[in-house]
Amino acid sequence: MNIQIANIIENRSVSDQYFELVFDYSNFDSEPQPGMFFTVKIDGAFGPVLRRPFAFSGWNPKQGTASALIEKRGNGTHWLAGLASGDTLDILGPLGKAFSFPQRGVRPLLVAGGIGLGPMLFFANVLLARSNQGLCEAPLLIAGFRTQSLIPKLDFPAGTLFCTDDGSTGFKGTVLDCILSLSDALPKVIYACGPSPMLAALARYASSLALPYEASVEQWMACGIGACMGCAVPMTDGTYQRACADGPVFNGLTVDWEKLV
Amino acid sequence: MNLTVTIGSLTMKNPVGAASGTFGYGSEYEKLIDVHELGALYTKAVTPEPRGGNPVPRLAETPSGMLNSIGLANPGLSYFISNKLPELQRMGCSVIVNVAGKTQEDYCKVVETLETQTGIHGYEINISCPNVSHGGLAFGTDPGIVEKLTAQLRSIIEQGAAMRKDSCRPLIIKLSPNVTDITEIARAAEAGGAHAVSAINTLVGMVIDVKKRKPVLAMKTGGLSGPAIRPVGVAAVYKIRRAISIPVIGLGGITCTDDALQYLLAGADAIQIGTVLFSNPNAAHEIIQGIWQYMETYKINSVADIKNLLE
Ligand SMILES: Cc1cc2nc3c(=O)[nH]c(=O)nc-3n(C[C@H](O)[C@H](O)[C@H](O)COP(=O)(O)OP(=O)(O)OC[C@H]3O[C@@H](n4cnc5c(N)ncnc54)[C@H](O)[C@@H]3O)c2cc1C
Ligand SMILES: Cc1cc2nc3c(=O)[nH]c(=O)nc-3n(C[C@H](O)[C@H](O)[C@H](O)COP(=O)(O)O)c2cc1C
Ligand code: FES
Repeated sequence: MNIQIANIIENRSVSDQYFELVFDYSNFDSEPQPGMFFTVKIDGAFGPVLRRPFAFSGWNPKQGTASALIEKRGNGTHWLAGLASGDTLDILGPLGKAFSFPQRGVRPLLVAGGIGLGPMLFFANVLLARSNQGLCEAPLLIAGFRTQSLIPKLDFPAGTLFCTDDGSTGFKGTVLDCILSLSDALPKVIYACGPSPMLAALARYASSLALPYEASVEQWMACGIGACMGCAVPMTDGTYQRACADGPVFNGLTVDWEKLV
Repeated sequence: MNLTVTIGSLTMKNPVGAASGTFGYGSEYEKLIDVHELGALYTKAVTPEPRGGNPVPRLAETPSGMLNSIGLANPGLSYFISNKLPELQRMGCSVIVNVAGKTQEDYCKVVETLETQTGIHGYEINISCPNVSHGGLAFGTDPGIVEKLTAQLRSIIEQGAAMRKDSCRPLIIKLSPNVTDITEIARAAEAGGAHAVSAINTLVGMVIDVKKRKPVLAMKTGGLSGPAIRPVGVAAVYKIRRAISIPVIGLGGITCTDDALQYLLAGADAIQIGTVLFSNPNAAHEIIQGIWQYMETYKINSVADIKNLLE
């Protein structure tokens, strides 16, 4: 974990609301793993007092670059969307805990909701590479969006299933409806990132079938490094864990989703 | 040039400290910055028992600031002593333990227990906490209670010092701005025997989500910090300086050297930085360098002289 002023290599729109930010990662002190994130200082006039957290969506050690998929939400992300290659960013990372690898012989199900796609795509690509080396089964990625125009123009692993709320493409319905419609083998382990209601629904499903389930949780952050206790995530045992340092990837069966959502 | 600051028996190597609650116990920042450069590290609040903290969300951003309602989440006194204190002892800067509680006994218990430990250079007493024996009104709003609490803590640390055959650790009372007249509380702290006061803690604030029609924070209100509160803090320090003669430590919204100098010119002997660390962990280093340069440019020999330079 360290802070670097990193050059932007590429910043391009990939769908209606999403853009892909690629930046120079050659000076950071450790490898990003799927599920980890970084924070960016937002400059510009009257920049906000808090950095903005984003999950890694990829890492290319040969080119020394890392990337994130970002949704335009408020001022910070709109400012980021306006930057171009050659501009620099103040980046702190890599932060947080990554997804754990599935056991051999178990096909991992990866579920992404909306902009939660970034880390899941990263994880899918890492698992694909591992499965090519015979270290695990190839993953199945299910990606849900509100509508077709949000689906980013990116390379997806072969066999990726798309769902849209409005049925404009792929399966019509939620990612959970899509999982339930899978007639062949049911999943044995689930990994997910997306809006909290989606993660909560998957937790109910996973717990009903006693499936291992890891979820990457979103929570407002201040320090991003475990010092301020601002990013607390409520657990079923009544304690709080820090999204930034103990997560953002948690055992989804131990998160108290009702208190989080 | 002399950057050192003296508070009671303690000499800090420079006037820049990291504010309580924004810097944890230092270890989290160790990988990012040279913590030993700090004049002082003010720990997250320590309470007698562990506290999980408030329901979530605990944070909200505001124009030039933020609200927090962390709820003094901390692992409690015993864990602090066995796990955090050893880490703090190798930080290489003055360690000031921030103390919080629900009752007067809570504060006394924490300080009494810490008096038996080494590696602590002072106490900062957070009197913004609700006093459960007085209907939840903050300790820091009643001058009578502040004077009594201060006097009691002062006698505990005098006894502790005698036992250790050591000098008395400085007692710093951290003032809340959520009062009618902050100088009245500062006078009470001085009368009770405080070695210094620090000002200001956060201001009470609220943000409402108009679509959901409810407050953003689970606790509804939170503490406002960041540049938005700087003018309030500078004015508070200015007034306190003219009301008491013990050292004043200024904080609230400092982001850079000029902000820090405003506090020093207003009358502060030292400063702390909090919220700025979230966006710029290197701010302490930059401000220490900046103060040095200012002193060089204006031929000021000692940082302690700056408080007398306001026209
Ligand atoms: C671990 C983690 C990973 C994330 N990964 C991604 C990602 O890969 N791609 C992506 O597009 N978004 C991601 N987000 C969400 C992203 O951080 C917010 O969308 C972004 O901060 C919005 O900033 P803004 O200034 O544009 O919007 P604002 O108008 O400031 O806020 C819009 C909403 O964004 C959220 N938000 C704002 N600031 C923060 C903050 N400091 N911490 C947490 N949430 C905040 C809040 O819910 C807020 O209501 C992630 C969040 C977390 C916690
Ligand atoms: C997340 C957070 C946690 C805090 N926790 C404490 C605390 O435990 N004890 C305390 O005395 N002050 C606490 N404070 C207040 C700060 O120490 C400081 O007084 C205040 O934030 C104003 O300074 P700033 O604007 O530089 O942050 C906290 C502030 C923040 C932002
Ligand atoms: S954001 Fe500060 S502890 Fe997680």
